[in-house]
Amino acid sequence: MRSFPVRRNTLVLFIVLFLLAIFAWAGWANWEYRQQAAERRAAIAAVQGELVPVATAGGDSAQFITPLEGKPAPAFTLPDLDGKKISLASYRGKALLINFWATWCGPCKIETPWLVELRNKYASQGFEVIGIDTEGDDAAPGSDAYAKDKSAIEKFVEQEKMPYPVLVDGDSISKPYGGLDDLPTSFFVDRNGKVVAAQIGINSESDIENNIKKALAE
Amino acid sequence: MRRLAIATATLLSLTALAPAQFVSKAAQGRSGKTEAVQYLFPEQVTLPAGKPAAVALHFRVAAGLHINSHNPKDDFLIPTTFSIPDGAGVKLENAAYPAGAMITLAADPTTRLSVYTGEFTINTRLVAAAGNHLVQARLHYQACDQEQCMPPKTITVAIDVIGK
Repeated sequence: MRSFPVRRNTLVLFIVLFLLAIFAWAGWANWEYRQQAAERRAAIAAVQGELVPVATAGGDSAQFITPLEGKPAPAFTLPDLDGKKISLASYRGKALLINFWATWCGPCKIETPWLVELRNKYASQGFEVIGIDTEGDDAAPGSDAYAKDKSAIEKFVEQEKMPYPVLVDGDSISKPYGGLDDLPTSFFVDRNGKVVAAQIGINSESDIENNIKKALAE
Repeated sequence: MRRLAIATATLLSLTALAPAQFVSKAAQGRSGKTEAVQYLFPEQVTLPAGKPAAVALHFRVAAGLHINSHNPKDDFLIPTTFSIPDGAGVKLENAAYPAGAMITLAADPTTRLSVYTGEFTINTRLVAAAGNHLVQARLHYQACDQEQCMPPKTITVAIDVIGK
């Protein structure tokens, strides 16, 4: 009877160790699964040119990986609201935020005042925002739908007092920029024309500002 | 044995937390590309030929998403609209849309949006010509979640309408 407490303690110890081992294995398996899933998503992104969310260890804001990161931002020439053709190449030497948005996009409307404020704050350091309207309807220039879109864009730009260039017909360059399945989508480009970061959806003004600083620094 | 029970309970609690630790809400929300709105029923209706009849059409918005109601609170937003193309053998005499639920986005608690989430019903009055008509009606909508929006979309609402 005297040896019973020892046997019981040993039993408890073994059970605890066993459970700890299961817990450690579950944690490792979970980490391994997440790693493999992230690699699969990155591989898909590389093939499809899509932005893919990457889960972060803390907080709710997801970061995005894009196959464009570290590569030159895809070239484009698009008309502005006056019909003047504007090319990305004409902004070489500036740090850029290329912001794809649409008039019907609520989060874009929330984000726009932030972009205006940040553009004005960092313009003197060689920073510019290029807003590219992407209505998602592939309206052909000259069509009624195109005219309707243009009218809505002009109204939006006036209402939001957007001081930066706003280009239209973003649908035509959606493929090289990853499909633009969701708006707003922003790409941050350094002074050498390389993409340094990307964001899908509305995060916070500070997240945007951090990526602007990254674009200005590199 | 009490110590064993406490140790086991503690470890099981920790194990339960393990799968949640690396995945953000936004990442979970974007993990799959599903249709934002699904037409549920009816697939077939029998109506008195040539006379207006009430037909309730049921739809479901995917979890985590919302679409604008028929009367969104901002001119820029795209209203949800149901239509039947001409020549379908069935005419849409009237469509009564449900009132939207008022929500705000986390990034801007001051702006209220009128939206549909979950299941919603459009109460229509249809006039069917005599005969069997496979109607390809349309629902036009624009969907968002709390952080981002998808382009406007039109889905086909297939209804077999029998006019007798």
